[in-house]
Amino acid sequence: MLNSDFLAGYLSQSENFEELPKQSDVVIIGGGLLGTALSYYLATAGVEVTLLERNDLNREASGTNAGSFHFQIALHQLTENMTAADDKRLADETKLMLDAAKLWDEIEKELDADLGVHFTGGFMVAETQEEFQVLRDKQRIENVAGLETHVLTGNEMREFAPYLAPDLSGIAFCPREGHANPLLVGPTYAYRAHELGAKIRTNCEVIQIEQITGISGYRFKIHTSRGTILCNRVVNASGAWTAELSSQLGLNLPMALSGLHVNVTEPREFFLHSMVQHIGRRLTLKQTANNTFIIGGGWPSRAEKFPLRYSNIWESAAGNAAVAVRVLPMLKDVQLVRVWSGVWAYTNDFKPILGESEKIPGYHIAMVPTGFTLGPMVSKMLAEYMTQPGTQNLLPKEFHVDR
Amino acid sequence: MKAFDLVIIGGGPAGIAAAATAASHGLKVALIDERPTLGGQIYKRVGPGFTVKKASEVGKDYYLGEKLIAELDNLKVDIYFETLVATIEQSEVVVIQNGKSAERLSFRKLLISPGAYDRPVVFPGWTLPGVITAGAAQSLVKTQRVAPGSRIFFAGSGPLALAFPAQLSGYGANIVGIIEAAPRPGILKSIQIALSVLGNFDLLRDAAKYQLHLISNRIPMHYRRIIVRANGKNRVESVTHARVDKNWQVIPGTEKTVEVDALCIGYGFFPSVELFRLLGCELGYEESRGGTVVKLNEWGATSVANVFGAGDGTGISGSYVAIARGRLAALKIAAELGKISESSLSKLAAGFRKTLNRRVKFQSAINRAYEIKSGIYDLADDETIICRCESVKLESILPSLESTIDPSVVKAYTRCGMGLCQGRNCQRQISALIAKKQNIPISEITQATPRFPTKPIKLGQIADASIRDEKYFVDAE
Repeated sequence: MLNSDFLAGYLSQSENFEELPKQSDVVIIGGGLLGTALSYYLATAGVEVTLLERNDLNREASGTNAGSFHFQIALHQLTENMTAADDKRLADETKLMLDAAKLWDEIEKELDADLGVHFTGGFMVAETQEEFQVLRDKQRIENVAGLETHVLTGNEMREFAPYLAPDLSGIAFCPREGHANPLLVGPTYAYRAHELGAKIRTNCEVIQIEQITGISGYRFKIHTSRGTILCNRVVNASGAWTAELSSQLGLNLPMALSGLHVNVTEPREFFLHSMVQHIGRRLTLKQTANNTFIIGGGWPSRAEKFPLRYSNIWESAAGNAAVAVRVLPMLKDVQLVRVWSGVWAYTNDFKPILGESEKIPGYHIAMVPTGFTLGPMVSKMLAEYMTQPGTQNLLPKEFHVDR
Repeated sequence: MKAFDLVIIGGGPAGIAAAATAASHGLKVALIDERPTLGGQIYKRVGPGFTVKKASEVGKDYYLGEKLIAELDNLKVDIYFETLVATIEQSEVVVIQNGKSAERLSFRKLLISPGAYDRPVVFPGWTLPGVITAGAAQSLVKTQRVAPGSRIFFAGSGPLALAFPAQLSGYGANIVGIIEAAPRPGILKSIQIALSVLGNFDLLRDAAKYQLHLISNRIPMHYRRIIVRANGKNRVESVTHARVDKNWQVIPGTEKTVEVDALCIGYGFFPSVELFRLLGCELGYEESRGGTVVKLNEWGATSVANVFGAGDGTGISGSYVAIARGRLAALKIAAELGKISESSLSKLAAGFRKTLNRRVKFQSAINRAYEIKSGIYDLADDETIICRCESVKLESILPSLESTIDPSVVKAYTRCGMGLCQGRNCQRQISALIAKKQNIPISEITQATPRFPTKPIKLGQIADASIRDEKYFVDAE
């Protein structure tokens, strides 16, 4: 079984610094969670695949998130006036989450590695009566879709979670939620892909994707900082930079970027086994295996141009801290030691962009807003599509690249 | 929100001098310091409940400090004691006063003079109780009149490596030995220093005085030796030191062990550049001035508009340079804000500039003579803890060095630098390990992305419930 010490040594070692192959059936752009997972699933099917990463593996959103599985219906999925159509949409989205949960059940066995996967449950808290009603409504949809959630209030709630603020209007608890170590999942996929013959190349920046025709039979010539490579199929899995790269080919992807603020505290004796979210305010909160608290939930940070990291805004630290202290009062005496910020790529409807462009045959996109929870699963879906010709219907229409 | 013409961060020599100069020219000044008294490290005042009866015993710096601090007596300066700077955004400093919630001070000009901290040196046993920095020993003595032990050993390099133990011995502490990694100053070096000394006689006299004190008190002093190990079970019981070559590499077979109950480490200082990095000020690297230094123009302006720097926090240059730099920056700021004319600016500045040039010359001669050599980074063995906040040993770090030149990657995989000190103690050591492994100069290793807060702060003090997220629903455009 692989462990983290080994992976730290592997990171970019082995053949990563070797020359680019001259050609490859598939070229994946981006060494984050989606790219590495896809390289693995394609390699298991015997596809010739090369992954190009401009930096080290797993360094952006894939490695800078909190590693939580978000299966419950959350704030960002709700709309102002919920309709029957919204109920149907939420039920579909919940079913997708359940599929992802099944993949996370199996992933450590599949990759024969300790990835820190634990199903320790997750809270969704409500402060107002209005919010509490949302917990009840969402529970109805979740339970129909097959996701187990419980709604508690009053003494029952205070007994179940005595550390939460006693005057919350209620909580939902989903036993299926949990987390994995985000630093390990992507690199482990890459390592296993490499074992199966995939070529992983880091410090290799894609500069231009050129469409070609001619006797070679290849459809694309990829110009990189380390030379060119010919390929039949390209998968753009470059996360926050997916749209920027696609615009070279005249594609306009319906996605936008946002910086997310995260507060990190000093360690305290471990007691908080389950992640905590808020149905009405921006909050995700968890105590890590290192006993620190990671607090986020969608507070903004300031955009910067790559390679600079997004910079943090004081208001986000202060507002985020206030919600966290409101929900988990013991936090008021815990010290903030640092903040960080990742770049979050999202679509207007929070649905993935997944599949092959009809305008540019052979050009694929793999992008998903709730990336950590759904990343491995959407990569697997795309790999199935790419390895089973004529399975156009494998990918949901609403994920379509040209939508 | 309170508004100031000038906010000064750090109440050491540079900050006090700047505050006094700026206030005397009519600027509305705020002076912020973490401690309950002014003075910084060199002019640190005695702690609460202590009084100085015989000023001659506490040394010349005490006099100089009191004189400087007294300049503020009849001036209007808002002093924020026990106050941390959490972050700086646009033209506002976010401060947290002891026990209170965050507050904002707006500024037209900002002077950052945060000082330096002791260079952490990583060697087997460096985290044992009883091993402290020379600066910590000095603080104990200055504020509390407590010696760090009853058998004290000093390991260090540089002019202060003599000054600290001499001072401590003057207070009656039992110093059992001193080692200096640099060679005994030879004729050439003495001439170099002497040539630069014109007008700096007091500094040279100090050094001679310290040396004389050590000799007359028969304190063993050894040159060209470095600390190798601190030994002991629950605290330091003995120290092992060894002879070094010119790069401070240990010469095997030259080890000696001494029984001690306190080990003071004084291999110079690191400038506290955190706030400059956070603001994106242009930095440089000069090993002889403490490593990462801030680029300043002749007036002390950084590359970021309206932000000035002064003192050891911009690069180690000593208190005389700090004071001159602080005054020059304050004068320039007063001129930029229209309080003094350009012509009186150059007149007022002339004297300070002369002092500055003289002191800089001396200090650079000293810094060159005592430059830190690469052997300082090679003392750890596999079992040595590199990151003391997260208890990460060298052996856990080595695998990640195979593949990257980015300390952030090492950090992500080993947790090195993720703890309370946020890498102040281990970051340079990590950079040195990468530099050695990949055979590139340490100055070319990038540093982790700067993030606030610069020091840990309770969430309850940060929390601001008046800041609202969009209620309920994200707008899907």
